Amino acid sequence: MRVTIGILVIGVSVLVSGARLAGHHAFSSEYDENKVVTLKGTVTKIEWMNPHAKFFIDAMNQDNSVTNWEFELASPNSLTREGWDRHTLTVGDAITVSGFAAKSGRNMASTRSVTTADGKALFGGTQGIQ
Amino acid sequence: MNRVFLVAVSTLTVIIVAGTFAAQEGRGGGRGRGNAPRVALDGPVPRFPDGTVDLGGAWTGGGPVQDMEVQGRFKPGEIPLLPAARKLMESRTPEDDPHAYCMPMGVPRQAGNYPWRFVQYPTHKKATHIFVLWEGNIHSFRQIFMDAMHPADPDPTWFGHSVGKWEGDTLVIDTVGFNDKFWFDRRGHPHTEQLHTIERWTRKDLGHLDNQVTIDDPGAYSRPFTTTYTATLQPGEEIMEYICNENNDYGVAGGFR
Repeated sequence: MRVTIGILVIGVSVLVSGARLAGHHAFSSEYDENKVVTLKGTVTKIEWMNPHAKFFIDAMNQDNSVTNWEFELASPNSLTREGWDRHTLTVGDAITVSGFAAKSGRNMASTRSVTTADGKALFGGTQGIQ
Repeated sequence: MNRVFLVAVSTLTVIIVAGTFAAQEGRGGGRGRGNAPRVALDGPVPRFPDGTVDLGGAWTGGGPVQDMEVQGRFKPGEIPLLPAARKLMESRTPEDDPHAYCMPMGVPRQAGNYPWRFVQYPTHKKATHIFVLWEGNIHSFRQIFMDAMHPADPDPTWFGHSVGKWEGDTLVIDTVGFNDKFWFDRRGHPHTEQLHTIERWTRKDLGHLDNQVTIDDPGAYSRPFTTTYTATLQPGEEIMEYICNENNDYGVAGGFR
């Protein structure tokens, strides 16, 4: 299933995550907590790996071009403790994902939340400080 | 008859102890919090048959993570940094943190975040060794030699050389022989190879384990200071494999020095 709707919202807000999971690198050095991206797209790849799991989505831009975005998650262990498993997302899933954009300007973000096509909300475990 | 009675009592005791252990530890294999048993964290301190405190269980929160000064309940500027150490700390940025390169977090930081557990050996008599198994970071272990002496000139290492003893129900761990590479916290509180730590671990009840740690490093601080953290039991939780270098953006190739 390809992306039918693509929305890119870059807003300014300060968001405080209720649960600080066992992430790894310094969140603040890589991501901008004031720059939130929310995208709809289709999962193209999942990396269930340490120290941070990742997934990639194809998201459609307003000009109908497609951009592949990388979304970083917490570690597989932290995600497992939050109820995820390595099958929670699969290639081809249509999802909505919100995260904090990379400071580098790459098409990359630290995941804040994921909503699956059937409306299930998943916490992504960002603000992965430590 | 007495023998039969003793066997019956012993069997019952084993069942009760095993049941209690199962209730504390859970049987979920650490796979998600949905399996966590309901455990009264203010329950009694578990003990081995000889009366020694059982430090078992998966713990988190026994050390600093972000900022030793804040988490150690100090006022800003109260930790007595020497000028050179202050300058070094101010030069540090989070991306330089050895932890970001999948290197160990040392003492006392490694007890701060990822789950870990004490393993006392043996348990049928006074332990000669206590091990700390760390989920992260790194996925490693530390060993404490009970009622032993430090070597005269230990090689500097990430976890140093640790000797332990019991003072009543408090496990006292004395460690020297650290290298100067790990940071005490994300903020970058430094230390030198002169670092000497004394940890006093006291299980207050089933679910809370105090770590009162004295940091003595005349190379970085003008006087010893003591800070306290409380680890919390994670009922039903187990430590899991965590190989940080697997796909690290910094990684071995990045070359931590």
